[in-house]
Amino acid sequence: MKRFVKVFWVFLVCILVLSSTACKRKSSENGKLYLYNWTYYTPDNLVAKFEEETGIDVIIDNFASNEEMFAKVMAGGNKGYDILFPSSDYTQIMIKLGLLAELDHEKLPNLSHIAPLIREKATYDPHFSYAVPYFMGSSGIAVNTERVEGAYERSWAIFSDPRFAGRMSLLDDMREVMGAALKHLGFEGNTTDEEELTMAAELINKSWKPNIVKFDSESFGKAFSRGEFVVVHAYPENVFAELPSENWPSIDFFIPAEGGMMYIDNMVIPVGADNIENAHTFINFIHNPENYALFLDAFGFPPTTNTGAAQYMKNTDFFFSVEDLAHSDNIQDLGPDLEIYNQLWQTVRYEH
Amino acid sequence: MKKTLKPREREQLLGTMYGGPMGLWFTLFFTVPLGIIILYSFMKRGLYGGVEWEFTLDAYRQMFNPSFAMVVVRTLWISVLSTFLCILIAIPCGYAMAKSKHQTFLLFLIIIPFWTNSLIRIYAWISILSTEGFINSLLMRIGLIDSGLKLIYNNGAVVLVLIYMYLPFAILPLFTTIDKFDFSLLDAARDLGATKLGAIVKVMFPNIRSGLSTAFIFTFIPIFGAYTVPLLVGGKDSTMIGNIIVDQVSKTRNWPLASAFSMILTLISLVGVFWMLYNGKREQMQKGSKKTTQQALEHNIKAHHSLRGTK
Amino acid sequence: MNYHKYSSKSGFSFSYVMLALVIVFLFIPLFVVVFFSFNSARGMQWDHASLIWYKRLIFESPSLWSAFRNSLIIALTSSVTATVLGSLAAIGIKWYRFHGRSYITTVSYLPMVLPEVIIGISMLIFFSAVKVRLGMFTIFAAHTTFNLPFVFMMVSARLDEFDYSTVEAARDLGANERQTLTKVIIPTIIPAVLSGFLMCITMSLEDFVITFFVSGPGSGTLPLYVYSMIRYGVSPVINALSFVMILGTMVIAFIFRKFLKTVAASS
Repeated sequence: MKRFVKVFWVFLVCILVLSSTACKRKSSENGKLYLYNWTYYTPDNLVAKFEEETGIDVIIDNFASNEEMFAKVMAGGNKGYDILFPSSDYTQIMIKLGLLAELDHEKLPNLSHIAPLIREKATYDPHFSYAVPYFMGSSGIAVNTERVEGAYERSWAIFSDPRFAGRMSLLDDMREVMGAALKHLGFEGNTTDEEELTMAAELINKSWKPNIVKFDSESFGKAFSRGEFVVVHAYPENVFAELPSENWPSIDFFIPAEGGMMYIDNMVIPVGADNIENAHTFINFIHNPENYALFLDAFGFPPTTNTGAAQYMKNTDFFFSVEDLAHSDNIQDLGPDLEIYNQLWQTVRYEH
Repeated sequence: MKKTLKPREREQLLGTMYGGPMGLWFTLFFTVPLGIIILYSFMKRGLYGGVEWEFTLDAYRQMFNPSFAMVVVRTLWISVLSTFLCILIAIPCGYAMAKSKHQTFLLFLIIIPFWTNSLIRIYAWISILSTEGFINSLLMRIGLIDSGLKLIYNNGAVVLVLIYMYLPFAILPLFTTIDKFDFSLLDAARDLGATKLGAIVKVMFPNIRSGLSTAFIFTFIPIFGAYTVPLLVGGKDSTMIGNIIVDQVSKTRNWPLASAFSMILTLISLVGVFWMLYNGKREQMQKGSKKTTQQALEHNIKAHHSLRGTK
Repeated sequence: MNYHKYSSKSGFSFSYVMLALVIVFLFIPLFVVVFFSFNSARGMQWDHASLIWYKRLIFESPSLWSAFRNSLIIALTSSVTATVLGSLAAIGIKWYRFHGRSYITTVSYLPMVLPEVIIGISMLIFFSAVKVRLGMFTIFAAHTTFNLPFVFMMVSARLDEFDYSTVEAARDLGANERQTLTKVIIPTIIPAVLSGFLMCITMSLEDFVITFFVSGPGSGTLPLYVYSMIRYGVSPVINALSFVMILGTMVIAFIFRKFLKTVAASS
């Protein structure tokens, strides 16, 4: 028995030593900054540069969807994080609920580099009083041209193509998929018209769903890179990140001509954040064109958001261009009308 | 001071001192949260999550719709099938382990995968089952198939991975009870003319009932509430109740509906637990006197004989 | 005599074949992961052997290590709390009758069988209702809650085999309550306490679903990190990490090999 107890203590000490060595974090001279960003959306080298320049210790948590972030922020009594990165619809909700702190533009001189187009699209907060755009982008369709034979339509109609049945995926995201169907039918992507929405749901259920394998927002990039899926409804960065760059030419990524759902991801400071000063420093740092170019290069994004960044970028071959977004609609909050979407989406996701 | 306490009071005091902290902990972090869920399931949903303090049966009304009914039915058949297969596989395993001389080593082998991070194991299954994954490349190399079989993103894959994840939950309790079983009873049954399988079914099974019910509960309930497996290896029609609950909290922001579904799962689990406790008690009572076991054995053997006699 | 088929411990039979197959089945995914962790290429095609992903894991994954640190802190604190509270309660419930005894017994089974999703969601809703900030504390509370039943059950099972007259004898010989506890009771139940603790550590390190709901700023644990890696990010590092974790599990299980049977009995 004594021996067991001894072994136990050795075990305990081992764990303690391990955890204390793992504890060896760099000391933070100028305080901390808690970010809550999308998974795979904050380049490590950019964070390292920020920490070095400012002496602020950055702690990052990740979320996979706006809803997940929002649920956590609501549940946590809106405390703990200094900068959140919601998309436009959730920025709109959070402004409406009074969850966001007003920004001090004197500390954000770099906002002058932000593209004029965004001011047009950001109807929820055109003067950036609460939210500074982080990136404006869009979902689209990625096709693996090596595994697809013959011509295909570069539109949402590709999901009706029986040749690719069993090798396609749609995002597991109500607004993205319903929006795509609405745009394909020529409607507005934020419509609340019940008839239009029913038609959209019918299109998905009758024409698209039989051909797809999965509604996937989690690992479509990995499945695409393995060859499991050849056509995916996707965010381009997730697809390209999974493949080595020599394979990139074989991927055809496009935003359908009829338009799709686009997004503006914002940086916002929640009311009651502990490090408001540091948060401003970070937002301003990001929009320094040199730094912003680092961010864009890390993911292969086009300079849609910060016009000054283009000249500093190494990468010139983008997944899509600003012009591709011309016909796309920015996802907006629909308030109580969202319930119509929910009802129809239930038939898509849960019935068969 | 202590001496002035009556024995009854003293017992009350000591019992509360020992058991109180855990009781308090469970009350605060388990009973109260469950209570809040019950409460929330009768509230009106808040537009942006949370609830509004207004009594309504909306959540329960919303549950009765064909979309959800399909998911409930699917969840039921997937969990019944997976549990059944788990137990079917686990019985011979528990039996073999109980009879082995290398019990510790075998337990070690069962427990290692069981303790490995569940997400890593699911991830491994994705690479095994995918169209160009392990199994398909193997089969193609042998020449059995020309193009990859679709093994992943369907309900078959969900059942397979669920069995994989929960098999140890069935093996371990069965092993424990079979290990305590007196194997000489089987010899006795054989002496009385029972077949090998007949002896096991008629004599051993009634004696390991508590192990069977524990195995059943510990596989069925977690499978019934599974979330990650259908999400990651399932296809377009693999949604289970667990996924609906998470969707309602994290996507649709309908907390009352999530609470109502949670209530249903909790009730089912409660019934299961009481059934398990009841079975455990009954077996203990049977074991209480040797005579009863003997009688049960004789009864079973008699029944067995009479069955054979009528054939 | 041909009769003693069942009590003899030899022979090649259906059940042995089944067990062997099951063990292979249980280990296949682990082998696949380990195999690909040594692959120099990213995908499923074997290129050549390389340690590049281990290098990345150790030197280029700072956020992974901070997640690991969080996991260890939570595993340790919640396991210690659960072990102390659970063992004490087991003693109390075994030997004393008091108000609330049956309530505690019944409620202690439930967190073990209730689907993880329910525990996670009920705690998230609870913490949000009482406005507790999500973070290390909420994860600690959740982990202690799902760990407690295991310690309680293991120690209770051990106490069932223990003769209460020993305690009475100690009292008759003049031992006070504290002495009885430390000199008589604790030495007897220590194997169960340790197995309970071990079980808590492994379960806490492993849990994803419940942690997913109750985590907050800066409190991401290793399983949460693994989950984000499964979704996207540099994939093969996850294989390297898996091998390290499997080795860790084996070491823990080996150190505690004497207790494995107790562990099996309670799960």
